Amino acid sequence: MPDSHTLLAIAAMALVTYATRLAGYVALRDRTPSPRLAAVLQAVPGCVLLAVIAPAFATGQLADLLALGITLLAASRAPMLPTVLIGVAAAGLLRHLL
Amino acid sequence: METLLMQPSVPPSATLSQEFRRGVLAMLPVLLGALPFALLLGAAAAKKGLSPLEVGLLCGLNFAGSSEFVAVQLWQWPAPVLLIAAMTLLVNSRHALMGAALAPHLRLWRPSAVWAGLSCMADEIWALALAEAAGRPGRGLSLGFYAGLAVALRLTWICGTVIGASLGNAIGDPVEWGFDMAFTAIFLVLLRGLWRGWRASLPWLVSLLAAVAVHLLVPGAWYVPAGALAGLIAAALLPLPV
Repeated sequence: MPDSHTLLAIAAMALVTYATRLAGYVALRDRTPSPRLAAVLQAVPGCVLLAVIAPAFATGQLADLLALGITLLAASRAPMLPTVLIGVAAAGLLRHLL
Repeated sequence: METLLMQPSVPPSATLSQEFRRGVLAMLPVLLGALPFALLLGAAAAKKGLSPLEVGLLCGLNFAGSSEFVAVQLWQWPAPVLLIAAMTLLVNSRHALMGAALAPHLRLWRPSAVWAGLSCMADEIWALALAEAAGRPGRGLSLGFYAGLAVALRLTWICGTVIGASLGNAIGDPVEWGFDMAFTAIFLVLLRGLWRGWRASLPWLVSLLAAVAVHLLVPGAWYVPAGALAGLIAAALLPLPV
């Protein structure tokens, strides 16, 4: 049986995470945003996605930088699945070779 | 133009199960990247002494991978509940922005679907859902498609972490095999879909540079909220397009 602290920690995490997922929706569901707020919201997806993958750009390893460049090139023209395969293969191979 | 052909009063021709299948298929490249990390997370949790049942509960109920990696990293016995809750809040604060961006696309959903759907709003699901909704303006987000995304990833995540916890130390490092690049690749392809020219993407650049700087200077997960906020401040300061 899981102990009570473990269950409490799991429940707390789940509740906190759910609250973060509801907060933005609840704040904006009944509103028509002003042009300024609309412009900011339009920038949200790109800003969040890039902030999440920023560590990939912050590397000093040559293999990682080359793999990132190859992945960027693939992402600019190829569909989703080929890009993922190219990115994983490039990173895996270059890290073993360099 | 697709927008000219749209008639909001006509129900979409695809059935719910067709839409669900389309969502599962769209999720496949993400599953390829997520599964090795689910196995690794489960194995790391097992090393900290968590049982497969506890790992399944943690990852199934919380369902936000990066906060789970942080929590497992911080895990002690007895569990430091407040510390784990606070770090979860920090790592997942970006969800509030994500929910705000998704809100306009959920107007046609009934409330129970919204509450259930938002509980599944992991990064990859949110990003694919937003890309999908942008492709069918005026009709909102397809509920069946979203359910396909959510069920596919949530089930994979739970199974992967529980299997990882059961296998324990037999798991290698997915980073060594390049699987971490899967998420970078997925997000870059999604960014291409969101691209509206250099001027509109200036806040993205600010977000990336700020996140890189904070990642290099400050330990922990601060770089995500810091980068995103810097980008949004840039978006708020830019003159509005005419």
